[in-house]
Amino acid sequence: MKRFLFPAFILALVLLAPVPSPARQESIRILYVNDFHGFAQPHRPGGAPAPLGGIAYLDAQADRLRREKPSLLLAAGDMLQGHNWANLTRGKGVVELMNAMKFDAMVVGNHEFDFGQEVLRKRLAEARFPFLGANVDGFPGLKPYLLKTVGGVRVAVIGVVTPETAVATHPRNVAGLTFRSTEDTVRQCLKDLRDQADIFVVLSHQGLPADRALAQKVPGIDVIVGGHTHTKIDMPVVVGGTIIVQAWEHAKALGVLDLLFKDGKVVWFNGFLQEISPAAGAPDLQVEKIVAHYARQVDQSLSQAVGKTQVDLDGEQVRRRETNLGDLVADVLKRATGADCALINGGSIRASIPKGTVRLKELYNALPYDNYAVAVRLSGREVREALEHGVSALEENSGRFPQVSGLTFTYSPAAPPGARVREVTVRGQPLNPEGQYVVATNDFIAAGGDGYTVFAEALDPPAEGAGPEDLLKGPRLVFSDPSRWLRDLVADYFRAHKKVSPRVTGRIKLEVD
Amino acid sequence: MRVYVNDQPLELLPGMTVKHAVLRAGRLEELQGGKKVYDEWGHEVGLDGALVVDLKLYVR
Repeated sequence: MKRFLFPAFILALVLLAPVPSPARQESIRILYVNDFHGFAQPHRPGGAPAPLGGIAYLDAQADRLRREKPSLLLAAGDMLQGHNWANLTRGKGVVELMNAMKFDAMVVGNHEFDFGQEVLRKRLAEARFPFLGANVDGFPGLKPYLLKTVGGVRVAVIGVVTPETAVATHPRNVAGLTFRSTEDTVRQCLKDLRDQADIFVVLSHQGLPADRALAQKVPGIDVIVGGHTHTKIDMPVVVGGTIIVQAWEHAKALGVLDLLFKDGKVVWFNGFLQEISPAAGAPDLQVEKIVAHYARQVDQSLSQAVGKTQVDLDGEQVRRRETNLGDLVADVLKRATGADCALINGGSIRASIPKGTVRLKELYNALPYDNYAVAVRLSGREVREALEHGVSALEENSGRFPQVSGLTFTYSPAAPPGARVREVTVRGQPLNPEGQYVVATNDFIAAGGDGYTVFAEALDPPAEGAGPEDLLKGPRLVFSDPSRWLRDLVADYFRAHKKVSPRVTGRIKLEVD
Repeated sequence: MRVYVNDQPLELLPGMTVKHAVLRAGRLEELQGGKKVYDEWGHEVGLDGALVVDLKLYVR
């Protein structure tokens, strides 16, 4: 009997032992865009031979790719603001199309704050997907992360935005908000979510250098989907075991990242950028309708009156002499920044505005560039140097010719360039070469545009060996507001004054030798 | 903030973009001739891309 019991016992053990289950293996797809900035329609950047982008075309590609495997669609920030298509509805159209496209989540970018917190709260309320911002304190409604099961895989998407948001927009836009370290925030979120997700994705709006640093310093991140630097990462890069991706800008590309999840980890990935253009296929008709609807609204907004002018506003002679339109724009700039005076390049004004009703369209034609207000502290000597530069290329009808506010000057065209400026007054007083003046200008000039190096050089740190008088002068940058275009400040001026009749007031005079 | 264009150090303001940096470096016209802007890892970057401290850009 015993002879049969032992083999029977072994057989029973074999028959009753649990059958090992096959290894768990799932394939999921992450689709991503970043820095859309409201570029809803196809466009030709930098004179491209054919149109690129078009969000309706991007959505058609996203739908096709989503049908192939379980997917997430993510936005890495700076979606709501930028192009007129977005700006003139303050991002409302963008949220509507993101709802139609069924985005799963968006991290706020620095530009999401440009319309102010009240507008951002409205957009957040309209969205059918969460706005993420784990490192932002003081803005109720922002979620730190999204938890979603995709194809059987639990995915945590943690959203972080660059702490430089605090200084990259006007202070009023971020009043009461704190932007904490993204590294500390992600570290904490990973700890909190350890048992709640299989894959950890950081949806980041801080730029590729910071994404790379985050990947190196913080273990446990599977993927960083990035934005902010508008980087075209054609194929994913791996840093410190973390996959990093970014999909360029302006709906010109849709990022695709496939992950194979097995035995509790990502064991394989493949990624690419699907470049978007009308040539690549048909658009999604629902999204195309939304784009067309808001394009019509933009046209209506541009056709609205902002005020009246009782005189022709001269935008033709701005490269040769003082004009009433040049005076008006420089006045707006000076007032907006609280500066002592203002100087802009005449070339920033591209058209005249005839007497009568002024529509937004005419204003935008006159001031088509995305310029914003900057104010810098200059010495009297530097102010004179800027004016000399402004009148140094009269013969060329150069855009550098200045239009000014709060200052007057005379110049002699017959004198050699660099020695043409004669008397200068600021706020009615003779210019003191050793004095300090807050001078408003636009960002193009502040970055050295039209050869105006004096503004850009004023922002350089003091040279080595600089004396205490240089170091103690205090900050040279007084004002910078990238969140509002100068043309919109001028539009506000028209709306406030309703009727204007600016005249040339003799700020810039010729001295005939 | 300090950034670099073709290894030239430049000071620009927070909120400025790749385009401002290229303008400051005096290389904006090169883009009209077909050149593009790349980061130090060889990725093309858009002209509206944000600047970050010590960003290295190359016009080529």
